[in-house]
Amino acid sequence: MAASRPAKVTAAAPAAAAVPLLSIVGLSAWYGELRAIWDVSLDIHAGDVLAIIGANGAGKSTLLKSITGLMNRGAAAHTRGRVELGGRRLDALDTGQIVDAGVTLVPEGRRLFARMSVEDNLLAGAFLPRVRPLAQRRLAEMYRLFPKLAERRLQVVSQMSGGEQQMVAIARALMSQPRLVLFDELSLGLAPAVVDDIYRKVAEIHAQGTTCVIVEQDMKRALAVANRVCVMLEGAIVLEGTPATLSEAQITAAYFGTER
Amino acid sequence: MNEDLYWIGIDIANGLLSGTMLGGYYAVISIGLALNFGVMRQVNLAHGDWLIVAAYLAVAFLGIANVSPFWTLAGVIPVMYGVGWLIQRVLLARVSVQAAERRGMAPSIGLMSPLLVTFGMSIVIGQGLLALFDANAQAIRNDLSYAAVRLGEDLSVSTLRLVFFVIAVAMLIAVQTFLNTTHAGRAIRAAADDPEVAALMGMHPARVHAVASGISLATAGVAGVMIGMSRSFQPFDGPTFLLVAFGVVILGGLGSMTGALVGGVILGITQVLSGTYFGPSAQLVGGYILILLVLAVKPQGLFSK
Repeated sequence: MAASRPAKVTAAAPAAAAVPLLSIVGLSAWYGELRAIWDVSLDIHAGDVLAIIGANGAGKSTLLKSITGLMNRGAAAHTRGRVELGGRRLDALDTGQIVDAGVTLVPEGRRLFARMSVEDNLLAGAFLPRVRPLAQRRLAEMYRLFPKLAERRLQVVSQMSGGEQQMVAIARALMSQPRLVLFDELSLGLAPAVVDDIYRKVAEIHAQGTTCVIVEQDMKRALAVANRVCVMLEGAIVLEGTPATLSEAQITAAYFGTER
Repeated sequence: MNEDLYWIGIDIANGLLSGTMLGGYYAVISIGLALNFGVMRQVNLAHGDWLIVAAYLAVAFLGIANVSPFWTLAGVIPVMYGVGWLIQRVLLARVSVQAAERRGMAPSIGLMSPLLVTFGMSIVIGQGLLALFDANAQAIRNDLSYAAVRLGEDLSVSTLRLVFFVIAVAMLIAVQTFLNTTHAGRAIRAAADDPEVAALMGMHPARVHAVASGISLATAGVAGVMIGMSRSFQPFDGPTFLLVAFGVVILGGLGSMTGALVGGVILGITQVLSGTYFGPSAQLVGGYILILLVLAVKPQGLFSK
């Protein structure tokens, strides 16, 4: 990777003084010796829908994994930098503690527990002691949000369509009552009609007060739902702003790393 | 002629019956191994030796208190659970795939090294038992060994085997219910499927594996007491039972409790019928031929999806 990183361009004025929900300062991440993220700093405010866009290998997924502690794997992967949720340091915690604190991830490729039923997958999401007493209530709420899952609650998830599986993955993550949900490659591999459906659900989840970060390759989709956008290139955030203030040409240039 | 037919029928009925009973016993011997592999992708080569440890443990308990051998389960099960938890936490967790990754080693090392570690464990256990006890065969005396339940004029079943079969079914149901309906059980299945995502659910795969390993050895505890009650045993008998357990797991498929029972029953029936028709020495051979056939035709096991 290049030694010097592209400088970040911030198109919008920094958000008004409010304390961010999640604050990332100087975050870097490595897979073994390979550095995948370079000094990323980013604030996410309560109520945001932040879209992170960028090409394959730009570091989007690694950023989400770093936030949720999945990059703390000794020699195999590690991070450096600060991540705070409402002032509380997350970067020293393990994944379970981070999820308990209120940040969760809907992983790329859904990664459901393939041999389990819909309901068992959702209940697995209610494993934390804080959530267990609420499990049945959360389950009912998830079935209200995704009525299709209620019909199929006993079906083994590996027999379901991609869209249905994505719904299970989202519902499973929501079981823990997160304040911030990170969606990794939300629309990847899904038919356009299904993606519309999934994005409607995300809008509903957001309307219920959950802050959302969406990693997405489909730029138009992301811009349609987000109130903030950042573009990643080669492991760094190269452009940040709001869909209203950034032109499509600007975003495209940042996405491909071409001259403006 | 009619009498011949009658006796053939009786032979087969007896074979099916005692084979089924034997199958329950085999299933209990194998659950631990199936659970270990199904959950942690870990082949525990010391599984058979842990069964023998449990049998010796029962002998030791009976040395302290002169009670019915079934009461020893109250001591053997918790002790074996603790041992299982401990060896996973302090020993096997250090050589797992995740541990290898943490140290910057290839994951394949994490797959191979538990094999070596449990192989070594098997040797240590055998030698340890020899040092603690002696090479003389031991047995757990009990009143049921020679009792039988008569089901017909020429049809009967060993009371002990019948009791074992009932215990086996109860145990399999209990383990399956635990795995299906409790938070801990779901965590065990989730961590088996995808440890990274399990962590995202707030589960700690290392702790979950320790619980699974504890349960695995607790079931081995029950199996060990059964072994001790039904035959004599010596310090180095473990590998024989490991082979039986492998056979059952191959037949029934991994990670399924129903598979363990059905695999056990099929192996039991095959062994008993081979013994009936081709003499006692054919008993083991018959079982192994069946296992070879299944490996050749359906290597994923008869019941795995």
